[in-house]
Amino acid sequence: MEKDGVVIGLECHIQLNTESKLFCGCPTAAEEPNSSCCPICLGHPGSKPVLNAKALDYALKVALALNCEVNKEFFFSRKTYFYPDMSKNFQISQYEIPVGLKGHLVLSTGKKIGITRVHLEEDPAALVHEAGMGASNFSLVDYNRSGIPLVEVVTDPDFASPEEAQDFLDQLTTILSYLKVYSPLTGTLKADCNVSVYGNSRVEVKNVTGKKAVGKALEFEVARQKRLLLDEREIVRETRSFDEKTMTTRSTRGKETEADYGYIFEPDLTAIQLSSGEIEEMKAKMPELHAAKSKRFMKEFSLDEYTANVLARNFNLGLLFEEISKSVDAKAAAKFLTRELMAVVNRSELDLDSLDLDSGEIGLLLEMLLSGKITEKVAKDAVVAYLAKGVKPTRFVEGRGLSKDLGEKEIEKAVEKVLSENKKAVADLKMGNEKSLNFLVGQVMRLTKAKAEPRAVQKIIAEKIRK
Amino acid sequence: MFDATVIEKARAEGAIIIGKTSQDAFGFGTFSTNVGLGFEIPKNPHDIKRACGGSSGGSAGFAALTKQTHASIGQSTGGSIACPASFCGVAGITPTYGRVSRFGLIDYANSLDKIGSIGKTVGDAALLLEVISGHDANDSTSLKQEKEEFSKLVPEKLKIGIVKELFENCDAHVKKECLKAVDSLGMKTEEISLPLNSKYGISAYYLISTAEASTNLARYCGMRYGLHEKLEGSFDEYFSKVRSNGFGEEAKRRILLGTFARMAGFRDAYYLRAMKARTALIKEFKKAFSRVDVLANPTMPLVAPTFEAIFKLSPLQQYAMDLCTVPANLAGMPHASIPVGKHENMPVGLMLTADHMGEGKMVQASLAVEALK
Repeated sequence: MEKDGVVIGLECHIQLNTESKLFCGCPTAAEEPNSSCCPICLGHPGSKPVLNAKALDYALKVALALNCEVNKEFFFSRKTYFYPDMSKNFQISQYEIPVGLKGHLVLSTGKKIGITRVHLEEDPAALVHEAGMGASNFSLVDYNRSGIPLVEVVTDPDFASPEEAQDFLDQLTTILSYLKVYSPLTGTLKADCNVSVYGNSRVEVKNVTGKKAVGKALEFEVARQKRLLLDEREIVRETRSFDEKTMTTRSTRGKETEADYGYIFEPDLTAIQLSSGEIEEMKAKMPELHAAKSKRFMKEFSLDEYTANVLARNFNLGLLFEEISKSVDAKAAAKFLTRELMAVVNRSELDLDSLDLDSGEIGLLLEMLLSGKITEKVAKDAVVAYLAKGVKPTRFVEGRGLSKDLGEKEIEKAVEKVLSENKKAVADLKMGNEKSLNFLVGQVMRLTKAKAEPRAVQKIIAEKIRK
Repeated sequence: MFDATVIEKARAEGAIIIGKTSQDAFGFGTFSTNVGLGFEIPKNPHDIKRACGGSSGGSAGFAALTKQTHASIGQSTGGSIACPASFCGVAGITPTYGRVSRFGLIDYANSLDKIGSIGKTVGDAALLLEVISGHDANDSTSLKQEKEEFSKLVPEKLKIGIVKELFENCDAHVKKECLKAVDSLGMKTEEISLPLNSKYGISAYYLISTAEASTNLARYCGMRYGLHEKLEGSFDEYFSKVRSNGFGEEAKRRILLGTFARMAGFRDAYYLRAMKARTALIKEFKKAFSRVDVLANPTMPLVAPTFEAIFKLSPLQQYAMDLCTVPANLAGMPHASIPVGKHENMPVGLMLTADHMGEGKMVQASLAVEALK
């Protein structure tokens, strides 16, 4: 631990995207409050949990993707504490031997962040304060969330800045998306952030929801602690909460004591046993993750590191790229996707994973653009229409009357008009004056209001003059 | 609301559920005297000044009392079927842990709880056990098993192990009746010593069972389960009020003991050590079963005591009553209590224990004991 710097560790709770809950068959997706619950997730006396095999499989994948050691035998534990959101007043979690231990994740800077542990646990119910926490004189409990599977990823205190923690969360969520165990739109990510500066007392900012909020909470907390030191005031070891409205943290009053959860082995569940063969098989079946994919893109398609990273960062974008590059020049495809497509995605704050993009359609659009049949402007508009309204690019191009034949005819007409009106320039061009060509192209562009593709215009002019 | 798997299974076989009987609340007790608010303490049909035993006292008492064809369901964590069966002079069977689904059972200590049967005869109890046995996907700890027809078994010649230590602290008359029954069987016998079980059984049992119980009872806090009181103060204050008013003295004692056993700083010395001890105690049993088919010992160290005597016992003296039944329960071994004679005109029970999934041998030996009458 660096005595002279910022030290941050994260405990991330990520909702796994299984269809049913961790210990019962209730659906994880539900509209009405308290519509997806049963005696098991309500903790009814006499009910017993049964482990969702899919959730276990997902947690194992996460542990392996984070390079953890996976134990051949592990079990669940009861973490007991009293809180109104817990139907049983204990949470089924993992303690001594979790799914995975001692892993690591490499940040985009190449720095290795240690993973202390990866474990599987159930989410408690949600407390709802309709008029806001402060204004409500009552709480409502929504048990739809009770029993939703969470994977907890605990890091070593290896981050030296909020930026590194942010990068970690970006890398982590990318990995989770690649594993198809997490849905960023519907699944929540929460983190408990441990922060200390210059070797002073550690402060825990609990229950920060969302990647961006974690970054903000850390930035505020680091600044707050540094300011306290500048003012020669003491940093108190405490638990704080993050207020998303004011982007500040505040003390949760209670002094931090070591919580005593009185863990016992969960006696309603049996130990999970895996053979070395099963673990090896899972390892072999792990998908290529984004870091490896980015390297492969650089090598296979001669892409620069930045472009390869952008493409690999999103599983579906990478997939789209690989599909399109089967029929179109890979570098051109990479450029088009990372610039034009991503520009629209970012500008309109769209989620790539919820867009159902047809690689064939985008491929055709790109082909038209590359062969000069449509202009860059049209291609951009087509992308906007596709992403925002779902209008297929081929149909968009047709609808605008800019399909191949019509476009060429229009350009031809415009070229003929320009050539007949600029006899001198035509003569100069025939003499080999390149500047005249540029002039003529410019005239055509002006006439067509830039709807024509300059290269196509050039080509047509050249053909006309040769005749 | 839902039915327990055992109730569903019994009903599917045509059983008629006629009612529920009193027991120690949450299974906490040896005499069914901790019945909780609004329930009656069951009285022993042989002498109403005496207890039925516990915790499934009502189940055994009613089986002994009724003139109808009847079998009861009971639940044993540390001896709660064998004890009342012994005191009431009926046959009680506690199966291997996992043989019968616990789905629907209100938990005492999940790693120890076993649903079993009580009948006027070994045959009745064996039939009910046969009906309620079987793997259940709703209980992760229930065992995959072949269907066994316990009700069709007949007495068999087996090798009986006489557990030395479990005869030592018994009433002389109880000891005499039990030894007489074993001798009368005319089977091969061998003295078996279970020093670890007799020394550490009770301690390990009470640490594990109360640790688990203290978590199971946490839900009765007035939020969804337990009493509902006037909403006042913080949730901690409200939960404490509900639990203080709702739980009986014995439940509070076990919650405190169990919470202590799993607290940071004590967990290693108590809860975890007890869990390790359990593994050692199972090994000791397994070794014994490599030599004999069935182990025999008195079920209870005495005949059913009077309520007057019971109320004079300290909690520790009460816990010590479970000396003979706790080891088999802690190890998850199937065991039966069969009436073998009388003392002070009260029934004496002989306990027969078999290896895991050895209910067949246990029933065969029990039938042989029953045939002595």
